[in-house]
Amino acid sequence: MSAPPVIATSGLSKDYGSGRGLFGLDLEVWPGEVFGFLGPNGAGKSTTMRLLLDLIKPTSGSACLLGLDVATESLAIRRRVGFLPGDFALYPKLTGRAILDYLAELRGGVDRRVRDSLVERFDADLDRPVRDLSTGNRQKLGLVQAFMHEPELLILDEPIAGLDPLVQQSFHTLLGEVSAQGRTVFLSSHTLSEVERVTHRLAILRQGRLVVVDSFENLREVAVQRLAIEFSAPVDASEFLALPGVTEAKAEGSTVIVGFEGSADAVVKAAAAHEVRAIRPQAVDLEDIFLRYYRTDDPA
Amino acid sequence: MTLRLRLPLAASAVFGLIAVLLAVGALFPAVGHSIGKLSIPKGVAQLLGGADYGTITGWYRSEMGSVYGPLLIAAVAIIGASASTAGEEEDRILGLVLAHPVERSRLIVAKAAAIAAVVMMVAVACWVGLIAGVALAGGGISVGHLAAYCLQLAFFGFATGAVALALGAGTGRRSLANGAAAGIAIIGWLINGFAPLVNAISWLKYLSLFYYYEGNDPLTHGADIADIIVLGAVALLLTAGAALSIEHRDLRA
Repeated sequence: MSAPPVIATSGLSKDYGSGRGLFGLDLEVWPGEVFGFLGPNGAGKSTTMRLLLDLIKPTSGSACLLGLDVATESLAIRRRVGFLPGDFALYPKLTGRAILDYLAELRGGVDRRVRDSLVERFDADLDRPVRDLSTGNRQKLGLVQAFMHEPELLILDEPIAGLDPLVQQSFHTLLGEVSAQGRTVFLSSHTLSEVERVTHRLAILRQGRLVVVDSFENLREVAVQRLAIEFSAPVDASEFLALPGVTEAKAEGSTVIVGFEGSADAVVKAAAAHEVRAIRPQAVDLEDIFLRYYRTDDPA
Repeated sequence: MTLRLRLPLAASAVFGLIAVLLAVGALFPAVGHSIGKLSIPKGVAQLLGGADYGTITGWYRSEMGSVYGPLLIAAVAIIGASASTAGEEEDRILGLVLAHPVERSRLIVAKAAAIAAVVMMVAVACWVGLIAGVALAGGGISVGHLAAYCLQLAFFGFATGAVALALGAGTGRRSLANGAAAGIAIIGWLINGFAPLVNAISWLKYLSLFYYYEGNDPLTHGADIADIIVLGAVALLLTAGAALSIEHRDLRA
């Protein structure tokens, strides 16, 4: 890719003590990418986003957004970035309209037509006080405020939290449009199916450290694969557990489901010692990939 | 936005204050002269603004100037300042606002200006209420001296609010900002009342914001520019400290 990265971090760290925080993050996100950031609670996803927006200061390392240094040019960066925090909160007594007006005034240069089209797209309720809105309806306001100035980079922390499936779909369509326009999206999510569906590449964080960055397709190739092997009579699943590369094996009637990494050769040969009726490969999903990097305490 | 959010509290304070000032004025002809000057220990009398209920000036100084006025304006200023800084940070709103292209220090200064405007509203309401109350009581304090008192009350509000603003912006902790600012105000009230009674520690009164608020008795003598300058300087310095302290620290999650 010839264009400079939209996000570039070098050794970015935030040490909260007791092993908590973010440690030595080296990451590059490119223009037009929808980049997924995965990890369980406390892995460092929100910390990364807060560092990128200069809401907290790094212990060490540096970060550049849109070619600008986060430490010294944060104001210029924030003009060009849309942010949805994971713990999105608003003034409870104000209506959605008053809040969007306020945030648009703070930002300046918001095209009213863009804002209105987003409100319509997400069917956001602007007339009731925020305290009377459901979590999903508050989240819609969060999405509108993040997108309404058509930013070059969107940083979205758990964007579909609380949204119903129809609005989720509308949001995913919007992500596709934004990406097609060459704008960049950096999002974190606990919803693996969402990440699988919308992101071009993803990163997995564990205990504040980056363990892998790649496309879903590439990660799937090295993920745990599963075969459902149907025998003519029940077979002891423990026979398979001792085989090289096998991570799991469980019997369900006369079928044994074997999970393994790498070659299927040893599994197939062991199965051949019995009368096999059928072998059915099972689909690999992001959960398998995710769990692979979390199976042990040691970094992968 | 801060001004808009603080208006309901300010409106309650304004209406309550005017009602109290009218009631106090209406009561004076009936009970003021019969109470007269209380014979109580000097320190306690000092805390109660002299406890001279026999004159209209002493009546309002004791009923309004010594406790109710500063208590109300300090409450409005402290609650407003801590809610708009540490409160918004604890409620996770400040993080969203500061993800917009806004300098932290400018935001704090804007919030300080909004709180100052609210304090000024209460002070002006106090002036209006005092004019009406004194008229109900039969007169006896000039409009100019009432304005002087309200001006010093406003500057006392600016200074106490700035204490909460500095603590709220510096720590991001609402309860700390509220508690410490209120504690400083109460200790200042006690010091201003008792310190002058003991020669060895009488100098402590200069550390109390109350001294600069009522030390020269503005209802009797009019405004004291030096006191107003001290209160204003405290407010400005603490606001500057608030703006600087939030600029370089991590926002709380």
